[in-house]
This record gives sequence, C-alpha cells and structure tokens, in this order.
Amino acid sequence: MRIEFVLNGKEVGVDTDPAKRLLDVLRNDFGCTGVKEGCGEGECGACAVLVEGRLVNSCILPVIAARGLEVITIEGFRETERYRVIEEAFDEAGAVQCGFCTPGFVLAAEALLRRNPVPDEEQVREGLSGNLCRCTGYGALVRGVLDAADRGRGLW
Amino acid sequence: MHKPISRPVARVDAREKTGGTARYLDDLRFEGMLHAGTLRSDRPHARIKNIRVPDLPEGYHIIDARDVPGMNRVKILVDDQPFFAEHEVRYVGEPILLLAGEDRGAVFDLLSGVKGEYEDLEPVFFEGKGEGLDNFAEYVIKKGNPEQAFREAADIFEGTWETGLQEQAYMEPQGVIGVCDRDRVTVYGSMQCPYYIHKALVQGFGWEEGRVRVVQTVTGGAFGGKEEYPSLIAGHAAFAAFKTGRPVKIVFDRHEDMVCTTKRHSAIIRIKSAMNRDRVTGMEIDITLDGGAYAGLSSVVLQRAMFASTGVYRVDNVLVRGRAVRTNTVPAGAFRGFGGPQAIFAVEMHMHSLAERAGVSPLNFKKRHVLGTGDKTVTGGSAHEELRLGEMADLVASMSGYKEKLKRFEKKRNGNGGKRGIGLSLFMHGCAFTGSGERDIIKAEVRLAKRSDGSVEILVSSVEMGQGAFTALKKIVAETLEIPLDRVVYVNPDTDRVPDSGPTVASRTVMIVGRLLMRAAEEMKKRTDAGPFEIVRTYEQPPAIRWDQDTFKGDAYPVYSWGANVVEVEVDPVTYEIAVRGCWGVYDVGTPIDERILKGQIDGGVAQGLGYATVENMRIEAGRLLQSNMTDYVIPTSLEYPPVESVLMDTEYEYGPFGAKCAGELPIVGAPPALGAAVQNALGVRVTKLPVTPEYLLEAAGNED
Amino acid sequence: MVETFCPENLGEALSLLRSAGGLALAGGTDLMVRYRGPGTPAFERNVLYIGRLPELRYVREEGGATHVGACTTYAELLASDIPPVLREAVGLIGSPAIRNAGTMGGNICNASPAGDSIPPLIALGASVRLVSLDKSRTLPLSDFITGPGKTVLRPDELLAGISFERGDFDVVFYKKVGTRAANALSKLSFTGLACTAGGILNKIRICFGGVAPVVVRSEELEKGLLGMDADTLEEAADEVGRGYEKLIEPIDDQRSTKRYRREVSLRILDYFIQNVVVPGLKTKETSGR
Repeated sequence: MRIEFVLNGKEVGVDTDPAKRLLDVLRNDFGCTGVKEGCGEGECGACAVLVEGRLVNSCILPVIAARGLEVITIEGFRETERYRVIEEAFDEAGAVQCGFCTPGFVLAAEALLRRNPVPDEEQVREGLSGNLCRCTGYGALVRGVLDAADRGRGLW
Repeated sequence: MHKPISRPVARVDAREKTGGTARYLDDLRFEGMLHAGTLRSDRPHARIKNIRVPDLPEGYHIIDARDVPGMNRVKILVDDQPFFAEHEVRYVGEPILLLAGEDRGAVFDLLSGVKGEYEDLEPVFFEGKGEGLDNFAEYVIKKGNPEQAFREAADIFEGTWETGLQEQAYMEPQGVIGVCDRDRVTVYGSMQCPYYIHKALVQGFGWEEGRVRVVQTVTGGAFGGKEEYPSLIAGHAAFAAFKTGRPVKIVFDRHEDMVCTTKRHSAIIRIKSAMNRDRVTGMEIDITLDGGAYAGLSSVVLQRAMFASTGVYRVDNVLVRGRAVRTNTVPAGAFRGFGGPQAIFAVEMHMHSLAERAGVSPLNFKKRHVLGTGDKTVTGGSAHEELRLGEMADLVASMSGYKEKLKRFEKKRNGNGGKRGIGLSLFMHGCAFTGSGERDIIKAEVRLAKRSDGSVEILVSSVEMGQGAFTALKKIVAETLEIPLDRVVYVNPDTDRVPDSGPTVASRTVMIVGRLLMRAAEEMKKRTDAGPFEIVRTYEQPPAIRWDQDTFKGDAYPVYSWGANVVEVEVDPVTYEIAVRGCWGVYDVGTPIDERILKGQIDGGVAQGLGYATVENMRIEAGRLLQSNMTDYVIPTSLEYPPVESVLMDTEYEYGPFGAKCAGELPIVGAPPALGAAVQNALGVRVTKLPVTPEYLLEAAGNED
Repeated sequence: MVETFCPENLGEALSLLRSAGGLALAGGTDLMVRYRGPGTPAFERNVLYIGRLPELRYVREEGGATHVGACTTYAELLASDIPPVLREAVGLIGSPAIRNAGTMGGNICNASPAGDSIPPLIALGASVRLVSLDKSRTLPLSDFITGPGKTVLRPDELLAGISFERGDFDVVFYKKVGTRAANALSKLSFTGLACTAGGILNKIRICFGGVAPVVVRSEELEKGLLGMDADTLEEAADEVGRGYEKLIEPIDDQRSTKRYRREVSLRILDYFIQNVVVPGLKTKETSGR
C-alpha cells in the first residue's frame, strides 16, 4: 500500500505493509538513523518521534497511523532554533554520555516545552518519564531541560 | 581543588550524539550485506542429538561449529566456551548456529523452522544455596590469626547476605558486522575491548595477527556488558563473513540481548565477626558467586570480591574463602563494580548489625574501624595514599543531616504514616587491574602521533562508551602540550592503527592510559622537530607496589578510590514500596579530569546502584530468565530518584595523570548498602538481600511480627 | 498471507470484519508488542486498522453520562472532562508517548488482569457498545470481560464506545502498585469511590485489579455497607476484608507474588475504609451536611 505523509517538512511516500513499524520505515526507507531501536516494546523512548507535534514511540506505531500526518524526527528538528537551545543546554548540563537515548530525549523535551514552556522540575521529570537513560541517572537531563526552558524564553 | 584541567569543557562527542548523526553499529550498511540470526538452546542442559535445517533458498546459509577455521573456543581466560555449541548445550540461550541471508525478516522466518533435537541432561542451579557445585575458581586469603581472634572473642556474630542478578541494560543492544576481504577479516562492533576481540578472532581463525582487524563503532553504553561478551558474536559474524564472502551483520533485539548476554554475578556472602570490647578483631568471610555455564571472567570477579570483602575497614585477622560455581544458566560476566558491589553490600550491612549489637551508632562504629594511612588491607598490602575516610563519613553525615534523622526516624518507626529511614555506607574501589596485572598481563602501550599539520593524534585501544574517555584523554594531552583541545585527534580505535593499551575496563582508562598519554605528551613537548613523528610509551609500574598473584599477598591495587554515601528513603506502610527521598555522596577519586563528566559518572552510578538495590529484579527459574525484556526487567526512570548531592575530596594521586585516580565504577558501589541501611532504619527489619523489593519487605516485616 | 486493511470509515471497517475477519488494531501499544517480529509484526491473522476512524474518537456528555469512542487516545481523554478517578488511573498508564497512542478500547479488549483503565471504569458502572455490520448491543463492562485476555466480542464485532456515569462521589481513592514509579506495569490496583453525604454511606464502589482473572467487584458486599455511619463501618472493616479475601485469587508471576498481591490489596482496602471513608463520614456527621 502506498502511504504518504510529511517527513521533516517534506512530502514523502512509501509502498509498504501498513502494519510495518514507523521506526523501520524511517530508518530503512528514509535513512533517519537518528531514530533508534532500544527495546522494540515502547518502553525506552529511543525511537521517539513527533507525530502532529505529539511524542510517540515509533517502534510500536504502525506506519498507517502516520498517514497524511506530520512526522518530525531528530533529522528535521535539529535544523531549528529550539533544537540549538536544547543542544546547548544539554551540553552545559552534561546530559550526553553514550548518546543513544539523546535524540529521543531531545524530542521529549520539545514535546514537553510545546505544551508547557515553563515547567517545574516535577513536570520535567514527568515529561521525560517515558525515556530511559542508563548513563546519566537523569539529573543532568532534567537540569538540561529546565535550563533550555529558561534560555529559550519566548521560543516555546 | 579546581585545578585548571578539572574545569568542564564542551564534551567533544556531544554534537553528533545529540543531533543523531553519530553512527552506531546498526546504522551501518555495507554493500551486499547479509543479516544473521542465531539459533539458541531453549533448554538449560542437553546433549544435541540433531539439528534439522529446512531447505534453504539461494543466498541463505547456515554457519556452525564446522565453519570455525581455528579453535571453536572463545578466548577469554579459560578455553571452555565454544563459539557454537557442538555436542552439548549448557544454558538457555547458548548459540548453536547462525542463519544468514539478505532479508532480515526471511532470516528469522527460516530460523523458526530450524528444529533442534535434544536429549535433556540434569541441570544444576544455584538456588540460593550454592553448595556442592563444581567451581571455576576457588581461593583462600588469610591475614593474621583469625582462629585466635575467634577463640578470644567476647562476642561472635554471623550473618548471610544475598545479592541478585543485574542486567547492564545499556540502551544500545549488542551488534557486530563481520567483513571478509580476500584474506583478512574485519569486525566492526559496539565494544569495550578491541584487542580482546582481536585475540579471540586470531584464536578462532588460527590466523596470524595481521589478518585480523577490529574496529570499534560508536558504543551506546556498556557497563561491562560489552567487555568479554562481544568476542563471541564477533566470531559469529566473522566466520559467517568468511564462509559467505559477504559482510554479515548481527544485531540483537532487546529480548535476545537480555536472554543471552552476561549478567552481574549473583552472590551469597556469609560474614562472621569476632568482637572484643566493641571492636572487630577477626572476620571469617565466605563468598559464593554464581558463574553461570562457562568460566568467563568469574575468577577475576571472585578475586575482586574477595579483595573488597572487608570493605574500608582495618581487620587484623581475616579468613576469606571464595568460589565461583558453575551452573546451567547464562554465563555471568563483567558489570560495573565487578564483584565489589556484592562484597561491599554484605560487609556494610554486617557492620550495621555489629553496630546495633554494640549499641553504637553505625557512623561511629564504622569510623572506629576505617583504614588509616599505612594500615594493612585484607591482602596485607598498604593503602599508600592518604586516607580520609573518617572525614568523609562526617562530611556526608552533615550534608544529609544523618545523625539527627537517624534518631528521629527510629523514634517514629511505629507511628502512622510513611516510614522514613536513613542509611550510610562507606566503600571503595581498587583502581585498575589487580596487583601486577598492568605490568604482567596488559603491558599497555600508547602512541601519540604528531602530524605534519601540527595536530596530535591519540592512538590507544581505549573506547568512548559514554563515560567521557574521548574528552578526558584529549584534555590530558592538550593540557600537557598546552595546545587547544581541538588540535587533538582521537577517533574510535581500529586495531590496524592503534597499539594495545589494554581494555576499557576496571576504571583504568584515565589513571593508567591517561597517565601514559601524559608521559608521552611530556616527551613530545620536549621534541623541537616539527614532525611527523610518534612517541611510544609502555606501562611502568609505580615502584612501591608489591604483589604475589599466587598467594594474593601484597598490594591488590596500586591505589583505591573511596566514597561515602547517605540515602534517605520513605517506605509506604501499606504497600512497602520504597521511595528514595535523598542521596548524598562524598567521593575521593583524586583530581577530576573533568568535573562535569565525573558528576555524570556519579549520578549515573548512583542510579544504577539504587536500581540494583530496589527495582532491578531478575530471577531465574529452571534455567530461564523470568524477566527478559524492558517491560519486565525494570530500570529506573526520571521519576524514580531525587538529584544526587555530591562533593569531591581534594586529593591527588602521585601516579595518576594530574593526580587522578579511578572513578567510573566507584559510584555504583556505595548506593545499595546505604539504601539497605535506610530501609532497616525505616522499618526495623533486617535487610539481607538485594533487591529490596516490596514483596521481600512484606515477608521480612511479617516474619518479624 | 495476512493482510492489513485500512478502512476509511466505520461502515467499511464492519463490512471488512464481516467478510474477511481480522484483529482490530487501534493505538498499537499492546498488539504491536505482542505480535512483534524482527521488523514488521508477525500478525497471525488479518489486521483491521481502526485507530484513525473518526466515528470512534470522541468524548461526549449525554444523558448524565460520559460517552467515549473506543479509539480515543488516553491523551485525548486526559484533555477532556472525565471523572477524577479515571483521570488519575489513565494518567498513570504508560508514559506520555504511550498515552498519545494507546486507547481505552484497546485496553479493554486486551482484557489483561493488569489493565489499568478497567477497574475504575467498572467502579463507574461502565458499559460498552459493540457494533457489527447490522447490529449493535450494549452490555456492562463487567460482563464484557470474562477472563485474562477473554471478552465476549464476536468475530464480526468492534468495540465502538464506552459509557460511564459522571459519578458524584465525594470520596475518590485510587492506588496503583506498579513495578516502579513511572511507566510501570501494574502489580495490583485498588479503586474506591464513596458518597458520604450526611455522615452515612449512601454509595460505595470497590474494585480490585490484578488480583484475580478479572476485576473484582462485589455489588453484594457493597450493598451490605450502605447506610453505615463512621462507627459502624469502622467495626465492620475486618469483616469486609474477610469478605473480599474470599473473592481474590492472585498469582505469582514475573512482576510480583501471590502473597504480596493478596496481603497488600487487602491492606489497601483496610486503609481505604479506616483512613479515607471513615474520616470522611465523621466530617460529614459533625458538619451535619
């Protein structure tokens, strides 16, 4: 079946099984290798992307669910001003170690700040609760998102 | 403190990781590449009678023991583990053969049609007893005169502690790609030790070293889980590439990764203490580790556990017996702490029990016994550096309000509402390889190359796996040469280009390899010629270290890093769920090479330790893991723990670069016993095993009613 | 060869269901995991994707009850006006990303004993509307689920909507005991709702999740508590506990133990009665409301 959607601002289409995981379509058909498979069960968030601005785990989303919708991966988001703010804040906070979870956390941060541009620590933790990190213990990630919200006043 | 080098810099690999351009193993594609899946044993112990393979379509191949050109044994320490099981399988998940082909889906479809015929053999399991089992290693350490100490004891107390399995749960599952090119084989992979893999492939192929090449790819976490394990699958991919003439990729999904890769050794530790006038005069310690089906690194894990068995305390008369037993379960292996967390948990909880018996506060009781500068360790060695454990204990206590809270929580224990508790732990980690391991086994070599454009390249086999090696080692070189950081080049190691500076394990990278690089840089600085040229440095053991590997006597480690933790918990009185309300840590790791990176190691290590102590529950039943995916094996989320408040002691190690010691593993060691003690304080029940689950507390509280 | 059908509307979906049969796939958070293969899931039969059908995504107030389309996501539910107990339970399901895809319809049809939305829905007296090409029927949710993973859904039916009362309970208590603080599977759950006007128990709902093949609710035991005041209820607490003890049948599994589920669910019940309802009744007494 031909399934068309908007990927990182560009109209794209793919002939595929509608039940194929959006993760595989993104990685294999469109080369978005920044979207990672960490668990394949929707537990770790390394595969997180934004569909219509909402955070979803692409490893458990059938591609048909994204038909006609706007999908944003790290490949698209990293071109934005908001990304630069998050990137800088993450770096300052020491939020990047092995990096495998990082793109997922960046998108989770974006999803959170879109809804709540001035979150408190508890809200940040809640917003990141679907993303697992094994390296940082979350401290630096939480500080990074709080700092991004601060630095990026007016962007969200 | 605050040496210039400690000041944080922008992490050199952050940009590509945050932006998703970093290429991990599964992101790599080679032309004509095949995917391979593995047929694994589904029973714990059996003789293989036959493997029935359906007719395979063109382009799909089976690779098994017959396709191992050299020795069908994975080189680790003992040659007991086959790359592919031939006649017998010894654990659920043991690899038997590969099926490789172009379409990944088709590979797994065909694999499901491959049927093994087995004759079941009697399996052997640990089952909380660990008695009467075959062992991979057995050691005894004796210090002073323990028999006399026990004869003369005014009081004797004995306790037993059990610790469970732990899964590294690195976020990037294991993966390798084997490429065969005329008469050479190259393996790309997520790994900690390129040269371990190199040696294993040389043995597996029976080829000379130059025909084998190993290249590390960006590694998404490891924690010891990618220390020795990748040698096995590197062999698989390499043999498959050799047989098919095509590149072969093996990538695990999370379930397969959890089922068949190495875990932290579960342990049973019994400690008996002789007391006289409220001092411990002697200890008898018995350690049993479950090594799983093959020897792996169990002998070394056991050694470290034994060397850590008396913790940070000076005990003049000690007998330590230890064994690593063989069971029909997935082989246990390296995991941050490497035997230390198990041993320190036991001795710290034991000291709490002793303090209670003596009617002394745990803080004072522990302080009374801590090692001082020049005191002898359990192996009769000296901690050569200045020891400030008492000071560290006091500092963490004051940071957390420990003393006041301890009393207050104990008083409120039987009231209504959530039960609060606070616990303190003192701990250490021996830096780098045991005793003379660096000098006699690793013999690290580093090279520092001056390029014609003036840049300097670091040539070592140490990998960046998230712990900050790239940034830290570059800083050491840049600072020494007084050049900007971006003039230093350091890429993922390729055995064609880098010497063997040893594995990225044992928290040795900064202290040993970093120091060698510093010396190389010092030498480079003296050279006035423009280059290009290369400086080569090899390991020189610090003069004062004396060690006998046969008797385990002397300085087990060149130096130790030390720590003190306090953890505060609140236990739900209805459900026994544990909420961590505070964590404090004081760490002596010498000079931090980068304070921000070090903070990351502390935060991450504490979280991993708290997870090990609470929610990370992995059990084996009849040889099968009950928890083998991320839904059932629970690791902490962002909502689990409050931030860690940490402080670094201002110390310097003479033989570390800029005074640095080891830091990667230390933080995981102290959290579990601090948590265990906190729960004891909250509920008034003895915590004798990890993880401390609500189910366990319900039973423990019920039994003490 | 299994096929995945992507109907454009409910009529088409029901027609396909009648002619070709299939597994209804909405958010995918359960089914995409249950049938996972390496890559594309290995569904064992045809799949009918209904996640985006507009007829199945709504939240409406009508006739004093709330009606929710089966494919409404948890996030959409949380953005609507739903009873506090449901808000609390749904807010603890999965993670933000899971809640953006997962649906209550999927949770119900999956019928896991640990399904988080089910006990609060049963406490709210929920009913489900099942539709097929030519028929529709409504039944209580507690009749719809008959065992772990078992419902009375017929092969040609879809769960279209769930309805439940607004619930004017002044006592709302929900406790999920999960495997960790967030994004956790449930070991067990407890839902307690009560109406304490005038210091007398005039409504009470008690539901246990995860301690039996299906949600445990006893209208008989609930009836027995009606009319009690604070003191009477306090005295009756032990007996109530014994009554529910007979109804629960917990198991050992990879997440928890039989003993833990049994003891803790009853301890929570006791806590609910003694520490939540009884004080609630007492306050109403003294204020004479």
